[in-house]
Amino acid sequence: MTKTTIPVGPFHPLLEEAEFFKIHVDGETVTGIDVDIGYMHRGHEYISEGKTFTQSIFLVERICGICSTSHPIAFVHAVEDVDNVDIPVRAAYIRTLIGELERIHSHLLWLGLAGHFIGYDTLWMWAWRYREPVLDIFETITGNRNHYGMMRVGGVARDVAPEAVPPLLETLDMIERKMDMIAKAAADDPVLKTRLKGVGILSRQAAVDYCAVGPTARASGVSIDVRKDEPRDAYGLVDFKSIVLDGGDVYGKLVVRVLETVESIKIVRQCLEKLKTTPGTILNDVKEISAGEGIGRYEAPRGEVFHYVRTDGSNRPVRHKVRAPSYMNIPTCAASCKGIPLADALITLAAIDPCYCCTERAIHVVDGRGSRVAADLIRLSREKTDRLRRELHG
Amino acid sequence: MPDKDEFLRHWAGRIGRTIDKEGRLYFEVAAENLLEVVQCLSRTMGCRLSTATAMEMYRGLEVLYHFSHDPTGRYFCPRLVLTDLEDPKAPSIAPVVKGAEWIEREMSELLGITFVGHPQPERLLTRDHPKAPRQPLRRRRTK
Repeated sequence: MTKTTIPVGPFHPLLEEAEFFKIHVDGETVTGIDVDIGYMHRGHEYISEGKTFTQSIFLVERICGICSTSHPIAFVHAVEDVDNVDIPVRAAYIRTLIGELERIHSHLLWLGLAGHFIGYDTLWMWAWRYREPVLDIFETITGNRNHYGMMRVGGVARDVAPEAVPPLLETLDMIERKMDMIAKAAADDPVLKTRLKGVGILSRQAAVDYCAVGPTARASGVSIDVRKDEPRDAYGLVDFKSIVLDGGDVYGKLVVRVLETVESIKIVRQCLEKLKTTPGTILNDVKEISAGEGIGRYEAPRGEVFHYVRTDGSNRPVRHKVRAPSYMNIPTCAASCKGIPLADALITLAAIDPCYCCTERAIHVVDGRGSRVAADLIRLSREKTDRLRRELHG
Repeated sequence: MPDKDEFLRHWAGRIGRTIDKEGRLYFEVAAENLLEVVQCLSRTMGCRLSTATAMEMYRGLEVLYHFSHDPTGRYFCPRLVLTDLEDPKAPSIAPVVKGAEWIEREMSELLGITFVGHPQPERLLTRDHPKAPRQPLRRRRTK
C-alpha cells in the first residue's frame, strides 16, 4: 500500500469554479481531504460598499450563475430587515415563484451531473432535457434565462401578466409528469440504489458540528429549512413539505433533491394560480433606509444563503457580508469522504452540489518516470457502477 | 432557553449594549465571556452558527457572530469589540463550534485579527499564494 495525494484543481475541467481538493489516499481508500479556496475571491463585499442598494442587487446576482436569484432575495431581505419594510402580496408570490423555479432548475442540473459522474448518462440527458422548459418559463416571466434582475428593495421589478399564466401552467404540468418519471426511475433502479446507498455518509452529529445547511443537512436528519423556519415572502401562504431524511448518504441527498423538486413544482403552481387572482402593486416605494443592521437569508437550492448589511442612513451599505451555502457544506467533505473508496470520492464531493461543472475528467498524476499513478476519478466511479450492474443483472 | 427574555435575564450584567429587534438580538459581549456565551447558544440552546462578520468601525474592529435558532427563526448575534488595532486578538470559538473554523481563518486573513486557540491558524484564501499579502486587507493597516 502506498500513500498518495491526488490533487483535483485548482483549475480543473471537473470543477466549474476554481477550488483545490487534495485527496489523501492509502491504496484505494481515502484517508483525508484538504480543501483550498480563494482562487475566485472577487471582493464582492468591498465592491458592494461603493454601490447603492439597487446597484448591489445586480452585483450579488453575479456571485453565482445558478443561484442568481437566491443572493438578491437574501440581500433585499437584509436591507428590508433594517427598517422592517413590508412588500406587496403580489410581489411576495412573484419572489417565491422565481426562487422555486430556480430550485427546480438547479436540482435538475445536479441530478444530471450526478448521473453523469456515476455512468448514468441517460439520467443526465433526461434531467437536462427537462431543465430547458424551466429556463423557458424564466424567459417568459423575466426576459432572461439567467440573471433575472427581478428583485428590488420593497418588492419586485416586473409583474407577471395574468394571460401569461395558463401556458406556464401547461409547461409545469409537463415538467411534473417528467419529474415523476425520473423520480420513479431513480427509486426503482436497483443499480442506482446499490451504487449510492451507504456511500459518503455524513452523520447527523457531523452535519450539526460543521453547521451544514440545505439538502446536505436535511439528508442527515437535521430539520432546517429557512422557508419553514423564517417564512418570508409567500412561504407562509403556500402549502409545501420540507424534505428531511435520515442516513446522510449520497442516495439520501439525491432523494431529498428529487422530492424537493416535486414540492417546488407544487409551490410554483400555487403561486401561479394566486397571481391570476391577486391584484395589486408589485413594489412599495422605499424612500430611504435608516441607520441600522439587517440580516437576510433565503433557502437557496444548496442551503441557506446569508446576507448581513450595516447601514448609516445613506443609500449604500457600510458593511455587507455574504455567506453562500457551499462555504458551510464543503468542509463536511472531510467527514463524509474519510474511509471511502476512491471510486466513491467523486460522487461524494459532488453530492453537496458545490457548483461542479459537467465536464468529464479528473486528474492524471504522473510520477517522475512519466507513468500514471492514479487513474482518473470519473472512470473509477463509472467502472464501479458497471461492476454493480453486472453483478445485479448478470 | 430559546426565549430571548430568558436569555437576557440569564446574562444580565454580563452583556453590554443590546439591540432587540423583531427576530434579531444583537448584544455586546466581553472577550472573557465570549466562549461561555457561545457554549450557551450552541450547546444549551441548540443554535447554529450561520457565519460571523468582521467590521472595521470608528471605535475599532468588531466581530459579530450570527447564531440562528432555527426552531424560532430568531438570530442571536454576540458582538465583540476589539479596540487594540495594533494587535487585535479574540478567543477562537472554533473549538466549541467546528463550523467557525473557516470564517475565523478568513477574518484573520482579511482584517488581521488573531483568533487565540484556533486549531488550524492558517490563511484561508491565500495559503498557497506565491505572493500572499503581508498585511491585513483593511483600510487602517496597522500590523
